[in-house]
Amino acid sequence: MNDINRQLIEANNRLERCPFPIPSGWFFVDFSENLEKGQIRNIEILGQEWVLWRGAESGNVGMNDPFCPHLGAHLGHGGTIQGDNIRCTFHHWQYDKEGWCKDVPYGKIMPPICKKQPILRTLPTEEKFGMIWCWYHPQGADPEFPLPTIPEFEEEGYVEPKRLNWDVNTAVQELAENGVDFAHLKFLHGQPEIPSYEYKFEGPYYDVNMDNGKIIGKQVGPGIAIYKFVHEGVEATMLSYSVPLTAETTKMNMSFTHKAYDPNTKEGMIAQHLVNHMIGEADGEESAGFESVDFIVWNNKKYRPNPLLCDGDGPIVEYRKWFQQFYPGFDRLDEI
Amino acid sequence: MPEIHVIDHDGSKTTLDAPNDIAIMETLRDGGTSVMGTCGGICSCGTCHVYFNAADLAKLPEKTDDEDMMLEALGDLVELKEGSRLACQIPMTDELAGISIEIAPEA
Repeated sequence: MNDINRQLIEANNRLERCPFPIPSGWFFVDFSENLEKGQIRNIEILGQEWVLWRGAESGNVGMNDPFCPHLGAHLGHGGTIQGDNIRCTFHHWQYDKEGWCKDVPYGKIMPPICKKQPILRTLPTEEKFGMIWCWYHPQGADPEFPLPTIPEFEEEGYVEPKRLNWDVNTAVQELAENGVDFAHLKFLHGQPEIPSYEYKFEGPYYDVNMDNGKIIGKQVGPGIAIYKFVHEGVEATMLSYSVPLTAETTKMNMSFTHKAYDPNTKEGMIAQHLVNHMIGEADGEESAGFESVDFIVWNNKKYRPNPLLCDGDGPIVEYRKWFQQFYPGFDRLDEI
Repeated sequence: MPEIHVIDHDGSKTTLDAPNDIAIMETLRDGGTSVMGTCGGICSCGTCHVYFNAADLAKLPEKTDDEDMMLEALGDLVELKEGSRLACQIPMTDELAGISIEIAPEA
């Protein structure tokens, strides 16, 4: 017994659940319909509080740090929207959605820095698929890739998406790792076989094709994934948009849609079944959607930076290396 | 301790002890002159605008961009002179002992 690798056996006490920072990328903020023109709301995502608001004139969405650069009042408590600016209640300084100071109503001279640069930290926002998105980057870099194009969520002819969300006690990297863990689909989900798969990591994208086109997936940065499920020529599409609440907790969001088939036709029933199957509600199924089985793993596991993988495992190591691009400036990359 | 001679914008004259390495703005603010120094020395308020004599300019540190921008903005409201500087950007030195400074009009 003296020659065994005790490093391996005794790793347990050193392991952490989520040894990652909040990753950079596009993240879902809210559905567009939940923010009216002129409205201000305080939200907590990406590890901090933000003030979310919509300009009264343009309707553009602003998302900024809460505390006024002047004297630190909370812009989301008592602040108001004036045109396309947010105005602090304390001294009525105004800021636009890029964080530029637009008005200091009583100073004869605006501080010179206000002409040089934004003075309030903001996140770039966009609206697409009926949703508000923000670009998060720890060093404030501009968006490094665009939001994807998803015809099923942008064009006419598809059913109103079914929306679901769950709170998960782990980081997004851990959630998305299941997208490359093909073996767990058989053992955790009870699918008859481990699916065949082809995959590619390229830039911020991960593309996968399982079972010769039955499931086509695309991950777009850490906060967006699109999966198409195909059965007898009928497609159903899942848009997954997880957002880190903190470094260790995630709001997992999904929307499902398919072509607006007549529900009484064979196509309509297949499409509905595909959606039910994805979320684990399908009757008479041999395998379980993630809702019923993945959470017990996510909520309780620890992250093994040096996992003991075998030949039937998916490209876990490659995936983790790919994911590191979303941790710019993180100084513990060699530990994950 | 070195001294500076100050002419305020109402014409009153005073002489102040000016400790080395301390921004002249602080000496003026704490010495009962009309200098406010509201922002504490980060070129964001323009309330320490003073005129140095042209002969003394070579003894002063270079202007930063922020000081330049504030002086430019002040120029819309008050007279700028060759010796216009923000006193918060000028630490006192032995070389400056005995100089005269005129406080610019309020913006």
